[in-house]
Amino acid sequence: MLGRCISAEWMKLRYSHIWAILVALPVISVLIGCANFYMNQGVLTKEWYSLWSQVGLFYGEFFLPILIAICCAYIWRLEHLNKNWNMILAAPVPSAGIFLAKWIVVGVLLILVQAFFVLLYFIGGKTLGLNAGLPQELPGWLLRGWTAGLTISSVQLARSMRIRSFAVPVGMGLCAIFIGLGMYVARLGLFFPHSLLTVGMGVLSQTGLSCGENPVFWLMNILYIGVINTGAIWRMRKHDRVA
Amino acid sequence: MGLVGLELYKLRRKRLFLMVILFLAVEIGWAFSATSISISRNPGSAGWEALIAMMSSMNGLFLPILTAVCVSRICDMEHKGNTWKLLLTLSVRRGALYAAKYVTASLVVSLACLIQAVAIAGFGFMKGFEQPVPVLLLLRFLLGLVITNTGVIALQQWASMTAKNQAFALALGMVGGFVGVAADLFPQGIRRIFIWSYYTGLSPVTQSYASAHIQFVVRDMGSLLPVMVALTAVGMVVYLAGSVYVSRQET
Repeated sequence: MLGRCISAEWMKLRYSHIWAILVALPVISVLIGCANFYMNQGVLTKEWYSLWSQVGLFYGEFFLPILIAICCAYIWRLEHLNKNWNMILAAPVPSAGIFLAKWIVVGVLLILVQAFFVLLYFIGGKTLGLNAGLPQELPGWLLRGWTAGLTISSVQLARSMRIRSFAVPVGMGLCAIFIGLGMYVARLGLFFPHSLLTVGMGVLSQTGLSCGENPVFWLMNILYIGVINTGAIWRMRKHDRVA
Repeated sequence: MGLVGLELYKLRRKRLFLMVILFLAVEIGWAFSATSISISRNPGSAGWEALIAMMSSMNGLFLPILTAVCVSRICDMEHKGNTWKLLLTLSVRRGALYAAKYVTASLVVSLACLIQAVAIAGFGFMKGFEQPVPVLLLLRFLLGLVITNTGVIALQQWASMTAKNQAFALALGMVGGFVGVAADLFPQGIRRIFIWSYYTGLSPVTQSYASAHIQFVVRDMGSLLPVMVALTAVGMVVYLAGSVYVSRQET
């Protein structure tokens, strides 16, 4: 049943042109990050690590969370339009299937975005003449970034399901970015979804997570995803929807 | 005027103003905490100029996105409710409807700017700045914001009205926010092209890195005046182009 829900979600996205946004935002992040790296090569001397600090800052700190917010808002917008709530809730599929299908689709889109971003990072680095090998931490940054992205997706999907407006959940997502940045500065980065992305992707510090921090990172992501997804599905089952 | 009143009436249960206030609370909180840290590290830097410069640079990031959200909210209710046809059966021109939405968006965003100016004055007063509240600087700060907003709102409205999928309009706002915050890193020739760079470009106070310390320099109004006039003209052109384009579009 979940497979059929996912397939339906893919079909809904077919003519949405959402791919244009998924492609454009990483390109802008990498372009600006590379330009900044090129202009400050005297200070940024750690080759790939320095380049990551530049491109990752814009991408992981600002663009990716908002990109996730836009994707989640779009994926629920289709249900908020044309009284589709009535139709989808009358379909012979469980509420969990509907919500999880959307969450999985956003997760797959995030994999594509992450892959595209790392490709651009590699091309950018090579164009700038970086000859050393790629950082060993790169797969870890990407995987942790994707996991934290899933956590943010849960938050945004739950918000966008509840709020009928397209723009408001995106705006709230932006506010959350700054709260996350504050949490990171206060050394509480492992306890807030948006700062989990900052920590996981090594956006502001490339030193990596310690042995104690790593399990906390995964635990917090699982906890957030579990609680928020369960809460959203429960709400979908128990509360009436205004179509 | 009646049309603007109706637009505001439609917004009454949309909680748009609540969202604007929350958004501003985050921005103002962030700007003030950064300024407080700066003052505690360097008490000599306590002054209105630093505060206005900080708020201007934060506006480069926040206002394009706030504008995108507000404009999208105002335009999307017609897409979502499928009410364009209903509106167009009334005896009003499409251009007038477009203008009403533009004026409404401008009022909401200008109110946000006014709240910022009041918050700046309040913060400086609380921190016990030695100089009196610089009314003229704050007015210039507001003027710069309003002029930049005229163009940004026109652009966002065009995007929000043309594409039903608001993801594009919000992505545009996000790119704008990014350009706004990074504008000072661009060469001047490139910076001039982007309308979002004028949030800092028209700020009455700028930062100078001539010596080891950051210095805040109050800009001469005469040097900003031609830019303000040119930007207003650009805003009007974008507005007219958007209005004509949307008026000819089939709904």
